[in-house]
Amino acid sequence: MAEDLDKVISSLHPLERKILPLVDKNSNVSRIVKDSGLSETEVNRAVQWLRSKRLVDVNESFKEVVELDSNGQRYLKELMPERRFYECLKATGKAKLSEIKKSARLSDDEFNICIGILKRLNAVEVKKDREITIALTEHWKKLEHAGFESESFLKKEFPVDVSQLSIPEKNSLGGLKSRKNIVKVSLLKDTAVSITALGRDILRRGIKTDIVDRLTPEILKSGAWKGRDFRRYDLLAPVPRITGGRKQHYRRFLENVREKFISLGFTEMTGPIVETEFWNMDALYMPQFHSARDIHDAYYVKEPKYSDSLPSEFVMKVKYAHELGISGSTGWRYDFDVKRTHRHVLRSQDTSISPRTLSLPSLNIPGKYFQMVRCFRYDVIDSTHLADFNQIGGFVVEEGINLRHLIGLLKMFAREFADTDKIKVVPAYFPFTEPSAALYAKHPEMGWIELGGSGIFRPEMTNPLGVKVPVIAWGIGVERVAMFKLGLKDIRQLFSHDLEFLRTIKVV
Amino acid sequence: MNRLVGKSITPESLAELAHYCKGDFSGYDKSTDEVSIELDDTNLPYLWSVEGIARLLRGVLRIQKGIPKIKIINGNYEVRVDKTAVGVRPYIAAFVAKGRKIDDTLLKQLVQLQEKFCDGYGRKRQKASIGLYSYKRIKFPVHYKAVEPSSASFVPLGMQKKLSLAQILEEHPKGREYKWILDGLKKYPLLVDDKGDVLSFPPIINSDFIGKLETGDSDIFFEITGTDEQAIMLATNIFAYALSERGFELFSVKISYPERNVSSPSPATKKIRISRKDVEGLLGLKLKEPEIRELAERAGFGFNNYTITIPPYREDIMHPFDVIEDIAIIYGFGNILPQELESYTIGQKLPIVDFIDRIRELAIGIGYQEVMSPILSNKNTLYTKMNSPDTGTVEIENPMSELFSAIRSWLSPILLEMLSKNKHVDFPQKVFEQGLVTVRSGNKISDYEKMALMSSHSTADYTESKQAVELLMRQLGIKYSITEKEHKSFIKGRSASLIVAGREVGIFGEINPAVLSNWGIEMPVSAVEINISDLYETDEKAGKRQKM
Repeated sequence: MAEDLDKVISSLHPLERKILPLVDKNSNVSRIVKDSGLSETEVNRAVQWLRSKRLVDVNESFKEVVELDSNGQRYLKELMPERRFYECLKATGKAKLSEIKKSARLSDDEFNICIGILKRLNAVEVKKDREITIALTEHWKKLEHAGFESESFLKKEFPVDVSQLSIPEKNSLGGLKSRKNIVKVSLLKDTAVSITALGRDILRRGIKTDIVDRLTPEILKSGAWKGRDFRRYDLLAPVPRITGGRKQHYRRFLENVREKFISLGFTEMTGPIVETEFWNMDALYMPQFHSARDIHDAYYVKEPKYSDSLPSEFVMKVKYAHELGISGSTGWRYDFDVKRTHRHVLRSQDTSISPRTLSLPSLNIPGKYFQMVRCFRYDVIDSTHLADFNQIGGFVVEEGINLRHLIGLLKMFAREFADTDKIKVVPAYFPFTEPSAALYAKHPEMGWIELGGSGIFRPEMTNPLGVKVPVIAWGIGVERVAMFKLGLKDIRQLFSHDLEFLRTIKVV
Repeated sequence: MNRLVGKSITPESLAELAHYCKGDFSGYDKSTDEVSIELDDTNLPYLWSVEGIARLLRGVLRIQKGIPKIKIINGNYEVRVDKTAVGVRPYIAAFVAKGRKIDDTLLKQLVQLQEKFCDGYGRKRQKASIGLYSYKRIKFPVHYKAVEPSSASFVPLGMQKKLSLAQILEEHPKGREYKWILDGLKKYPLLVDDKGDVLSFPPIINSDFIGKLETGDSDIFFEITGTDEQAIMLATNIFAYALSERGFELFSVKISYPERNVSSPSPATKKIRISRKDVEGLLGLKLKEPEIRELAERAGFGFNNYTITIPPYREDIMHPFDVIEDIAIIYGFGNILPQELESYTIGQKLPIVDFIDRIRELAIGIGYQEVMSPILSNKNTLYTKMNSPDTGTVEIENPMSELFSAIRSWLSPILLEMLSKNKHVDFPQKVFEQGLVTVRSGNKISDYEKMALMSSHSTADYTESKQAVELLMRQLGIKYSITEKEHKSFIKGRSASLIVAGREVGIFGEINPAVLSNWGIEMPVSAVEINISDLYETDEKAGKRQKM
């Protein structure tokens, strides 16, 4: 018990220590303010803390109070208008109205009110001769003796609690309220504070005031902390939230994918956002007339419409492969449109980078290459489609590789990106590979997912680029895995602009 | 399906078998006993019919080997092609199929194959369009010609009154949908029978009389017109095989062109040679000739000493590898043992990635939240709202939406757009984005890696942006200088250029309140935008000099 008390005592804030001894059975905040010399805010805060520690009880009530307004304060110094009126009249007993108004220094308003009050008291009478005059009546002595009610009200100690007023006082308050800016009545919060039994125990045990509150450089320098207790903090009290810098969630995920490819021996490649139909489709042996071009509905560039920097040697070889075939192929047998192949499009598939890489003199054989780039599709944007998305793909080029290596590669991808050995490799169709296969992987939590596509580049595609060895092409779709890992339901959240979301999504 | 395959197939096993068609089983409707399969390969139109899929599955299930036989009886029918048609839509093929009552299901499936073929392979009817007719209403020979748009009229399918060809293009829904195919032609194609009754106005619409195939009919006249003879012969073969397998008797039609005659259908086969070496090289499987023969025949090819005969309903075989893939599919991808790659290669990132990651790390370290946005934006966001002139933009000719009609050329507008959507989120708001932008300069289009940082709170100012720039340069060890820079997006006298090796690589300062008000932002914003590609290039050069 004593230990508990000590723990409470050592957690008291200096403000609490200052006001607790000032609280008795029926204190209130305004009195504590007066007694402690602290500001009302400080007292209120300390009272709240003491209340949450159950050392005081707080009872809030509201009361109506009267305070002097601007004219009221002026009249307190200059005397009430009716007093000034009366004194001026008393000096002569009878006077012209205009003279009184002048000598009592009254405004029109004040003057009219004064006549009203004095008439009501039957202390004056107004006569109309050639000029309007006013004279005291025989009742003036009564007034001389009793004085004005308004005057005595003004002499009270403000603020005045309305509930404490007598009935006549309430009446005179009513009169004053109807006059301009003499008094104002407002609702005042009154916080009654009383000490609890626990509070009394604490006080009885004694609250040292010699205790270290904030540890400051001065205290450290002087060593003043030595031998003193530190105030205990309320460790569970809420603290303001901070936000810091962090990586974007999806980019972080993609970085991990990139690291994985590097560790598997793949070299990263890239290409331009604005592609030509040549690299985007023709160099992939996708015929210009074919409906396969519909799958890759592309965005076309307004200006410049055509590129002037395609390597003409490769264009001619690709044209030949399309028109007449190459290395044992019949070709597509149509007139290849050389102008169209120069047409600028937004990259619609990451595979556009593969023929670029394959055509480079620096191509390494054996070699493993990958790219992760933004691609653009003519799609309506909704919770499952973006116009602008990341694709990951690449190829492996090596003498003697075949379908068995392709399946081995897919198996490795399933292990690395879906954490599983359970895969299904099934026939698929891509215009630029033969054979072509799709990879399904049984993710431990997501179940069967389509993870990627793959195939061996057709000789009609690789030969015009000068590559005579087999090339396994592959692409993996990690978007669904990313969404699963990040706990997202809407694909647009991959590129979210919701700052609160970006700040709070879990780091994975 | 079960009848056509000759074996009972459950919807469950079809889900597996669908992969043999390079397709995905996508659903089974119990009430109608219908299955749906989504097909990947756009080069195999014969699979766009139940008959085609059943034919393939018969091979998979060892019910049938080689190319199935088809019997075509020499018919006494003729289509006379007028020379006017040759200049407009030059090719036609046709046949007659008799002897089976057409029920609802068959009619639905025929129409499905017809529409799929014309839409996909037929390039939305331009290259090829098919008509199916009630045979008994036709008086042979049929005449194929081209006529003036207003000189012929008939009641089109689905209407009650006679319309001229020109009127059909304006008033019939199919006319409006496909009239683009006839753009610029003075005469339009027309098929009439010997009495002069109209069969159809290809490729637009059939007549409501002869051209209306109905359930209960048992004899069909098939016709296809187009601009590509190979494509229309292929479609004719596909339909001939499908109807023959449905139990129809097929009769040939003589097509009399002005200068030659063709018998239709003419299910000719082509041949291609494969080799055991190629099979082994491509698949990694050591197969003996009888095994290869067995697999090729189950795949629906003829096989004779490595010479492959291609069935007449396929036009997709261009290269021996196309045949070898089918051999692998029948062998079963699941039966092929995976083999690991053995070559040793060293992985490498793009050289700039490491530089980019260092800068991102610094931005995060000073408290900035990373953002990743779509690359597509619009000129209103990029310039109008920034009070900035267009600095060279790649615009999209066919945008899906105006919101995504240009490639971003700088990043600051993207971040301001973001801040404008987060006015009620806790301040300070410090965000950055690193990513690609595309800039057009005349005929030249270039991508740049850029980074923009933005800080928004009640006391955000020039000092804060300069502090960030100086921290980045200091910690990257890059020598730089700063000069005054006037830019409409920034407050005059409170924005500056970052200069490295005599080249402007960035801009920073306080965003102009006029711009903030365009975005409805009521909090000061300080901004930095740096061209990382340029910075990297100068840094690389400096690094190389040092090494030397």
